[in-house]
Amino acid sequence: MKVQHSNGDTLDLMTVNMGPSHPATHGALRIFAALDGEDVTAAACEMGYLHRGFEKMVEQGTFNMVLPYTDRLNYCSSMMNNVGFCKAAEKMFGVTVPERCQLLRVIVSELSRIIDHLVCLAANLVDLGALTNYWYLFNPREEVYKIWEKLCGARLTNTFSRIGGLYRDAYPGFEGEVLNVLKSIETGVADVRALIDTNRIFIDRTRDVCPVSGEDATAWGWTGPCLRASGVDYDLRKAEPYYGYDTFEWDTVIGTTGDTYDRIMVRAYEIVESVSIVRQAVDRLRPGPVDSDDTRVSLPPKQLVYHDMEALINQFKLVYEGVRPPVGECYDGCEAANGELGFFIVSDGGTNPYKIKVRPPCLTQFAAFADMIEGYQVADVFATLGSINIIAGELDR
Amino acid sequence: MSDAPETTDVEDKRADQDALESRFQATPDIHDSWDASFIVTADVLRDALIALRDEFAYNVLIDITTIDYLSHAQHDGERFAVSYNLKSLSSGDRIRLKVWVSEEEAEIVSVHDVWKNANWLEREAWDQYGVSFIGHPNQKRLLNHIDFKGHPLRKDFPVRKRQELSVNDAMLDELEARLQGKGYAVLEQGSPAGVKA
Repeated sequence: MKVQHSNGDTLDLMTVNMGPSHPATHGALRIFAALDGEDVTAAACEMGYLHRGFEKMVEQGTFNMVLPYTDRLNYCSSMMNNVGFCKAAEKMFGVTVPERCQLLRVIVSELSRIIDHLVCLAANLVDLGALTNYWYLFNPREEVYKIWEKLCGARLTNTFSRIGGLYRDAYPGFEGEVLNVLKSIETGVADVRALIDTNRIFIDRTRDVCPVSGEDATAWGWTGPCLRASGVDYDLRKAEPYYGYDTFEWDTVIGTTGDTYDRIMVRAYEIVESVSIVRQAVDRLRPGPVDSDDTRVSLPPKQLVYHDMEALINQFKLVYEGVRPPVGECYDGCEAANGELGFFIVSDGGTNPYKIKVRPPCLTQFAAFADMIEGYQVADVFATLGSINIIAGELDR
Repeated sequence: MSDAPETTDVEDKRADQDALESRFQATPDIHDSWDASFIVTADVLRDALIALRDEFAYNVLIDITTIDYLSHAQHDGERFAVSYNLKSLSSGDRIRLKVWVSEEEAEIVSVHDVWKNANWLEREAWDQYGVSFIGHPNQKRLLNHIDFKGHPLRKDFPVRKRQELSVNDAMLDELEARLQGKGYAVLEQGSPAGVKA
């Protein structure tokens, strides 16, 4: 492609497709770029390769049937998507889940945040050619998946939360295993930090690469670690506290320049904060119910179902029809691993959701990607793509 | 961020809603009994959104979505509504604006130049519901294939309808527009191998 700049310079640009099927896109994304040698002069991005019609499909089933679909949004941290959807639905019902349920949701959410960040860091470092880190970070992740298997029978697609509670309570010995896995996570992250903190190649390839100012990040609607890397101190767990996040001792991690280095490091430090939150939550865990006693969302105790007519009817209605939120339109967001994961639910009083719109944190980050990479080099494209952690499952839905 | 007005106490919090009601004739959305949601008319939508951003520090556009009320059991009125979900980073407040759009018109003014992410959010809303955004510079499908026919989230789009789609989007138009935005004129267009120009 021959182009001429308004100052008279002519350039012979090479157009190249990076993706959609490229190992470094970690999914199916397409970056169409015009290159001047190694420099990206202009780029355009395309998404939608993993679009499965989430929002159409969820309208076909009941509210609790939405949950398995939410697993497949950000599949690196399914637990958190389950929690996010249940939290939004519970807001419509006005249901508050019991304290044990809240603490268990905090524990599974923070462990999910940790493994999501582990995957992001590991994959990003592999993209930079630093393969060893991958093993250090994926081993503790595997231990978390073993806990998930015991907790709900599934590794990746957990469907662990329910509207008004959880699939079931934690198994005996859960607390001990969680505390053990936290140690492995700390070791893994410390090993990786030892490899990268003063590593010349890592620093040269990430520092001052594709920076995004706090002002731009806000204008792009960024949330989560990427926004914080740009120096904006904003975290929904602090700004709109839920499940007692404001009662735990932890800090938000913020960056300064919003470059690729900051985005990677914010995640590395957030793992440490999440480890601290999980420790405090495990410490507070006391025996108790995990399901709300609100009959609109939770099944009645089996003893009552066998001996009480009302409870029997209640059980049948919930199983055969499902839960029925009040008529209305409600938005609720939670701080997922990538940022604000929101669910906008429209109910017309029926048992099926009338409409559910997911607000995926990835989308606004990928929308900014072409602007971010223009003027940088091809190698920077993939260093940066890894650092904004695009998960095609939630991006394309 | 730092010079954004502080709207932490209840009286200030009402100021934005009062302004919406007095200046833009906004009415509270009865559908939403949980948060602050208002309905405005299409002709003041853009001004109201800009006022919320600049005067009341709702600096983040969280999401744009369309709602199709075709089979809604409790609705009587226009078929579509477009909903704008805003958030203030300084005060933590949220507000939603909704505007009714009739089936015949099926269009609304674009705010792609008010928030940077509105460009893609509007593309998605149009792609899924077929409500156009007037003035959008590149209203292309975002989630569905470029040759897809129809708007799948409309209530009258059959859930089991299948379409065979194979040809890629060359995207040369988008790339050229970006080059032109940087002061380059395209002299000779190369066609990338394997895709339709």
